[in-house]
Amino acid sequence: MEISNTGNPGATYNSSGAISSKSKKNLGRVYVWEAPVRIFHWINAISIVLLMLTGIYIGNPFFSPTVPEEAYYSNIMNWVRYIHFFAAFAFTGNLIFRFYWAFKGNQYARPNPLKKNFWKQVVEATKYYLFLPNKKEHSPGHNKLAELTYLIFIGLGSIIMVLTGFYLYLEPQFASVPFEKVAFLFGGDSFSVRSFHHIVAWFFVVFIVIHLYMVIRDDWLNRNGTLSSIFTGYKIEEKHDHNDAGQKPEGEKSE
Amino acid sequence: MLETKQKTIYEEALSRGISRRDFLKMCTALAATMGLSFKNSDKVVHAMETNKRVPVIWLEFQSCSGCSESFIRSTHPKAESVLLDMISLEYSEVLSAAAGHQVEEAKHNTFKQYPGEYVLVVEGSIPGDEFTTVSGKPARAVLEEAAKNCKFVITYGSCASWGGLPAAKPNPTGAVPVTDVVKDKPVVLVPGCPPIAEVMTGVIAHVITFGAVPELDRFGRPKAFYRHRIHDKCNRRAYFDSGLFAESFDDVGAKQGYCLYKLGCAGPTTYSACPEMRWNGGTSYPIQSGNPCIGCTEKNFWDNGPFFARRAKIMGTQTTINPDKVGLAVAGAAVAGVAAHAGITAAMKKKEKNGSEERGE
Repeated sequence: MEISNTGNPGATYNSSGAISSKSKKNLGRVYVWEAPVRIFHWINAISIVLLMLTGIYIGNPFFSPTVPEEAYYSNIMNWVRYIHFFAAFAFTGNLIFRFYWAFKGNQYARPNPLKKNFWKQVVEATKYYLFLPNKKEHSPGHNKLAELTYLIFIGLGSIIMVLTGFYLYLEPQFASVPFEKVAFLFGGDSFSVRSFHHIVAWFFVVFIVIHLYMVIRDDWLNRNGTLSSIFTGYKIEEKHDHNDAGQKPEGEKSE
Repeated sequence: MLETKQKTIYEEALSRGISRRDFLKMCTALAATMGLSFKNSDKVVHAMETNKRVPVIWLEFQSCSGCSESFIRSTHPKAESVLLDMISLEYSEVLSAAAGHQVEEAKHNTFKQYPGEYVLVVEGSIPGDEFTTVSGKPARAVLEEAAKNCKFVITYGSCASWGGLPAAKPNPTGAVPVTDVVKDKPVVLVPGCPPIAEVMTGVIAHVITFGAVPELDRFGRPKAFYRHRIHDKCNRRAYFDSGLFAESFDDVGAKQGYCLYKLGCAGPTTYSACPEMRWNGGTSYPIQSGNPCIGCTEKNFWDNGPFFARRAKIMGTQTTINPDKVGLAVAGAAVAGVAAHAGITAAMKKKEKNGSEERGE
């Protein structure tokens, strides 16, 4: 079952997404992730890891001082909560900046789900990951399925976490803060908001597992430096006339 | 029908042999119960000197009478001083001496005599018409009749406020809270299973003093008694902050009085005056006595999972889960899925490589 791309003379891709050796010409460094995107990524990554570890402890305090003692010597839960809140502020500020950059950044930082082609490409990318014949366009940045996943998990998921999280943070001080109306989005009472916060947090863990796999897989198949690109900003991609935003069909079944 | 000149609360108290000094003491205690500052106690005195006793009709539907039981154990103000001096309880199934047609007649006289003046107190949820009837009328009709001309409604207990136990899923009787039936009158929710006695009498005292509905939170509960979260006023909070938790009901931590968070305490999500006012005349409250809070003042607390486990509720369902266990399982499934996907990818890559070699590429 030879699958090649006859309609595209520039490059040949096979069904697993790797560029065939004979087509490796015009390769060069393409600047994909701008510095603000990379800084966002790492602040986001570190804060999510901190938030998850401290959050699991807050939900289920799995270690305690072992010797029976009075509530004088240790302050563990307070410190864990302090780190959680500190990371939450970093996470939130970072997220607000990223929403701004979704309009100001380069083409790889601006997903646009309002375009018809976006959803067509989501379907094609899904087929690609299911090892089915597809017309997925190659982009040095994210494919559209990846962009959609980021919008859902890192976009919507983060908004839910920020809203529910700050509700819980401000809960004892509602007399002075008009934040309590947020609760109506999440079931009304404190318990429902807390449940939301706890359950959605685990979606981030699932996201991290798949995210890491996809990055390593892309680097492995395409040898394009995906893994190092989040440090340097550059990927090794085919350079060609950028008349179509660097997008070409790939993995098309010819016969 | 008895026609008497109505006495003020002060006159009523004097006629019962209470001295001016004791009357002032009672008013000051009342102001403190309502959360008013000391300098506002003259407002209470003035109200008691000028206001007449407020006629109250106390209806009971799908309830266990636990709220009535709690009410009559109030110590400050004492239940008898509320019942005899401050309010004029015209109808109550638990406390009325009369019964049957006599008490029904008294109720209807109150409707006629004090339209727009009497306060309606409701205990218990309102079921479908076939499940509860009072003197031959279904509960909903009884409530609608009484609510038509009342000044406002006070709902005592979780059942009347939010449906409570009868409305817990699957809600076999179709029980609804008072707010689903009474839409055109102000409703003050006093939830709890039962509410603290002093909270119940305190709300009544506020109504008498100011003749108005107290300041309410977004759920309709009086802020004076429901503005603080139990967790933030808890006498065990220091142990929470230190990370010292009782792991079971009989371990060293439980004996030391450690935080009950890991035993499912609902204090962090529950708003009630329990840690401040306490129960049985300020003696103790559940957490102080070593039992985790079950969150009985919160909406649908019966459906929020087992009382002695920390759970999370999946919105829109009655399903509660242990989010960490389920989350870990889902993350594990994701790892397995990813591994499978990687295996298929590797196999396909190898196949394509072999294919290329066979063709001599």
